[in-house]
Amino acid sequence: MIRLEMTLAMVKVMALELWRDRAALVMTFLLPPLVFLIFSSVFAGATGEDIQPKLAVADLAKTQTSGRVAAALLASSEIRAEAVAPATLEAVRARVKSGQADAGLVIRTDPAVPGRPFLIIADPGRAVAAPLAQARVQQALARAAPDAALRRSVDQLTPALGTLTATQSARIEAAAAALKARPPAVTGGDLFDREDLAGARKGGAVIAYYAAAVLILFALFSAMQGALGLMDERRSGVADRLLAGVAGMGPVVTGKFVFLVGQGVVQAIAIFATAQIVYGVAVLDHLALWLPTTLATAVCAAGLALGLVSVCRTREQAQMLSTFVILVLAAIGGSMVPRFLMPAWLQTVGWFTPHAWVIEAYQGVLWRDAGLSQVYKAWGVLSVAGLAGLALAQTLARLSRR
Amino acid sequence: MSASPILTVTGAVHAYGDKTVLQGVDLTLAPGEIYALLGPNGAGKTTLIKTICGRLRPDGGAIRLNGQDPARIASARAVLGLVPQEIALYAHLTVSENLAAFASLALMPRKTVPAAVERAMALTRTTDRAHVPVRHLSGGYQRRANIAAAIVHQPALLILDEPTVGVDIDARAALDTVIRDLRDLGVAVLLTTHDLEQAGGLADRVGFLREGRMALEGPPRALLADAFGARMEVMVQLAEAPNASGEGSLVAEGLSPSVHRPDLWTRLDVDGYAAAGRLDKALRKAGLTPREIRVREPSLQNLFSLVAERKLAA
Repeated sequence: MIRLEMTLAMVKVMALELWRDRAALVMTFLLPPLVFLIFSSVFAGATGEDIQPKLAVADLAKTQTSGRVAAALLASSEIRAEAVAPATLEAVRARVKSGQADAGLVIRTDPAVPGRPFLIIADPGRAVAAPLAQARVQQALARAAPDAALRRSVDQLTPALGTLTATQSARIEAAAAALKARPPAVTGGDLFDREDLAGARKGGAVIAYYAAAVLILFALFSAMQGALGLMDERRSGVADRLLAGVAGMGPVVTGKFVFLVGQGVVQAIAIFATAQIVYGVAVLDHLALWLPTTLATAVCAAGLALGLVSVCRTREQAQMLSTFVILVLAAIGGSMVPRFLMPAWLQTVGWFTPHAWVIEAYQGVLWRDAGLSQVYKAWGVLSVAGLAGLALAQTLARLSRR
Repeated sequence: MSASPILTVTGAVHAYGDKTVLQGVDLTLAPGEIYALLGPNGAGKTTLIKTICGRLRPDGGAIRLNGQDPARIASARAVLGLVPQEIALYAHLTVSENLAAFASLALMPRKTVPAAVERAMALTRTTDRAHVPVRHLSGGYQRRANIAAAIVHQPALLILDEPTVGVDIDARAALDTVIRDLRDLGVAVLLTTHDLEQAGGLADRVGFLREGRMALEGPPRALLADAFGARMEVMVQLAEAPNASGEGSLVAEGLSPSVHRPDLWTRLDVDGYAAAGRLDKALRKAGLTPREIRVREPSLQNLFSLVAERKLAA
């Protein structure tokens, strides 16, 4: 009972120290949701459908069909097309090279006649823009010049079918004329139907990902700052005072751990409340699994921070080590770049960081509706890592009596 | 010293590797006694304090707090309060918040904490700053709050490590009052300090530690009487530092130079005032100009110098 009171006394000390240090307070509780909002604003829209690359267009063919395709592109709301002047290949290349356009389109010959009428100018640094532009050009051709598309299809089939009869040719011409007069609505092709996952909001997976990624990043960062108090206590003589007492530093370390776990939970509440309010991530619907995930995350951050700080001799050493570790773990674990974009070997290495487990657990709970059987392993890994850090800190605190 | 000692150090030996820092130190401290532990840097004061606090187990000899070994029995340290040299407090917390925290960390039951905090603040005269964050206190108040945090759990033995470092004269006087009040309440006080004036004024006994041994120990007045008898210290301050020939004249008159001040020279003389007159004439005759000649009773500083220079043995 008395030990509990000692632990609570330390929790109170840390809470008051944080409460009276307004800069630390902002860094701990305001910055994480803010960074999360910035990350999610950037990445929530980057699901592919919403990307509108800027396309520099030059119509060198200057035929009726090429003009219709170019006009359709310029009028499209799905791509930001602009006609370059003068309309030359070099002008398009210059626009792309200077970064004024994400990709370029040169209409070299009449799209209605056989051949390769379109040239896409691509910037390897913006590789995703080229295939998107290509898809938009195909859509524009189907919408604005369906007659030309029909004729190109017939031309492609002719070698296989043999020469068309006069009647067949006449029918095709009539169909082309009808298409030209009344272009059909193009929805994306006749091959595909689309089904969006029930209840899934666009970008929800990315939001859950970055909420988790930002949480573990800041939980670790803030826990490190809190754990640095151990160094301050050594430097200020508080540790000497306590080591001369009955209880030593044990309750101090435990108290710091409890406080830092609580701090991590509050940070999680701040970030996921923002995710729920702003992006509709269904946190409350998954509260039963969200809570243990959050607790495991906070335990992991608090324990690792205390363990790391405890092995250092000076505050400067601890600060340098913690900055190094936080940044490297964040980069490898997926807090900076989505893990699925990483090479396979780096994704494997990522499992040695808490970040990957935290992200996986939260995505499982909030996005994939995972059950206990799918997240218990992450809880275990995170809790064991945190408790190992705490045990190390306690052991070193006992040794520090000397 | 009629009461049984709260602290007993018997033949304490401790070595760091090949270097033996404590070489058989004996020390006892009774309730209501102030003991000043003196000695140059490296004499073993810090190591001795660490062994008393139970942080180091001596390689030989024994340390007992109320008859118990503080390194083996944690509860033995309950009688101990340590005032580190630094301001060992949480800077963002107020004085009362700090004291409450340290009371809890000293295993005090929660119900008793508020009264203990009030008492510690009253004893250290910090009540008027109870709700001021420590970082906003003056140096003197910080020092007193530093002591308050060490006595909040009402220890029987208070160890103060250089309590007057960086404080002004008024603040030091206030600290001395606090320490005397604690002594009057029956608290045993072990003080390590380089401030020999403070030690001389406060301590019931002083101990000179030299190279891990207690070179000299006893009440200051008795030690001074033993070492100097009826001799007085005659101190000559010259208008300027002497040249080689001047130094020869000063030595011929039995004067010794001060370590840090080439213009200050001293000697001990039974008839100090008469000696002062003779010295003035002799030095002027030798071409030296005394700016001031003072006669006073020898201080612990004189004694300390003798011990440090091995001119005096235990």
